Amino acid sequence: METNNFSIETENLSLWYGDFQALMDVSVKIPDGKITGLIGPSGCGKTTLLRCFNRVNERYGNVTTKGEIKILGKNIYDSDVSLLELRKTVGMVFQRPNPLPISVYDNILFGLRIHSQFRSLTRTQSDEIVEEALTSVFLWDDLKDKLKTRATSLQLEQQQKLCIARLLPLKPKIILMDEPCSALDAKGTLAVEELMSVLAGTYTFLIVTHNMAQARRISDECIYMFLGELIEHRETQALFETPEHPKTADYVQMRYG
Amino acid sequence: MNRSNLLYNVIAIVILALVLFMFWNFAASTSYVEGKITSGGVVIDTLSTIYGYLYGMIPICCVLILFSLAVAFYLEEWLSHRSWQYRIIERIIAIFACIPSLVYGLFCVYFIVVKSQQLSYLTLTIAVFFLVVPVTIQTTQKVIQGVDISVREAAYALGANRMRVIRDHVIPNTIPTILAGIFTAISRVLAIAALFIVICGWKITESNSIHSFDIPNNVIVLLSSALLFSIISCLFEKKKSF
Repeated sequence: METNNFSIETENLSLWYGDFQALMDVSVKIPDGKITGLIGPSGCGKTTLLRCFNRVNERYGNVTTKGEIKILGKNIYDSDVSLLELRKTVGMVFQRPNPLPISVYDNILFGLRIHSQFRSLTRTQSDEIVEEALTSVFLWDDLKDKLKTRATSLQLEQQQKLCIARLLPLKPKIILMDEPCSALDAKGTLAVEELMSVLAGTYTFLIVTHNMAQARRISDECIYMFLGELIEHRETQALFETPEHPKTADYVQMRYG
Repeated sequence: MNRSNLLYNVIAIVILALVLFMFWNFAASTSYVEGKITSGGVVIDTLSTIYGYLYGMIPICCVLILFSLAVAFYLEEWLSHRSWQYRIIERIIAIFACIPSLVYGLFCVYFIVVKSQQLSYLTLTIAVFFLVVPVTIQTTQKVIQGVDISVREAAYALGANRMRVIRDHVIPNTIPTILAGIFTAISRVLAIAALFIVICGWKITESNSIHSFDIPNNVIVLLSSALLFSIISCLFEKKKSF
């Protein structure tokens, strides 16, 4: 996949769940290596839009998509696009920490094992990958003696960091985050935000959040959505301080939502 | 299955044992039944023939269990829950699964002992099919549905395909409960076999005017096995890992 200045581009993207239209002609360009926030009231289509980018939506059936989505310049609905490769390039972190019910060690290597040939990784290589991934998310010191522990037994904050860490060995270009801090306390939220700030530049982040303060703190650009439509997409500071659209102004000034 | 369910199972089996024991006493004191149980035209003269059939049913049971698991995985993992096929199959399974095993047992006794007076693998397979398949499918379906959706999403988002998700996450996380379902089904079969032996054995005894068969003991062995399988089922279900 070739690269350009935008990691993700959509053109007139519409999506229906059965008869219900969840996205309406969404055209957006997400810049490379930045953190872009997706904000809007509940049910406005933020998560739906996010899930389009790695085609996770398709699993649920009854979904119809129209329009174009380009990831790193390539239309992801082209017949020659491998879903496996797409999900390697576009990682996803979910609202609730969802480590796989296996050990911390195996969680980190799960994705890599899917994308590598059977037993192509040596034990030493695996150990190095695990250490590198956990170090990147500042978990190595806490978990280096607990690598065989079941990941679901970790603290929520550690679980969410682990969910980010397991993406890193795949070397994704884009990381989608669907309200990654909604299940975490203030300390956990801060830890994940710091981690995102450190990793931004290397990865393109697209984060759905209901927390306006968080969107303001961490994102470089912000997208406001309302009832399936993209209302405004600007630099975060500009969107919050001088919103162009009245609907955006109403939302960011907390007149509703 | 929790501790109270285990208790209910024990109570149910004890009650069934008492009912069969009373039935046997009642049957032994009456003499209105005439007839012969035959197998391929040869009069069955010992209970060992019935046991022979029961042992012969073991591989058939295994095939039926594997068939049930395959159907359950197909329904839950491949067939859309919105499709009419899913809805129809699920309802049929639900109807057959909720019929008490005793009803199947009585039907089995009626058709084999009273009507045809012949034992055959076909009739026994049909009986065991209805005893094992619906309940195993239903248990397996429920446990597959119980696998956390977030686990599936996580695996799919990392690039896993359906087979990988089933192999690496669904099966390892559901195997104890699936085994519990299988053991429950086996205990149903054994309990009905006990009923079957009481009636068949009694008829053989009556028709041959021989009272030397130790039918109550045979029934106790089968019911004890059913109870054992039921307890194992409870233990496996308690061991579920997600």
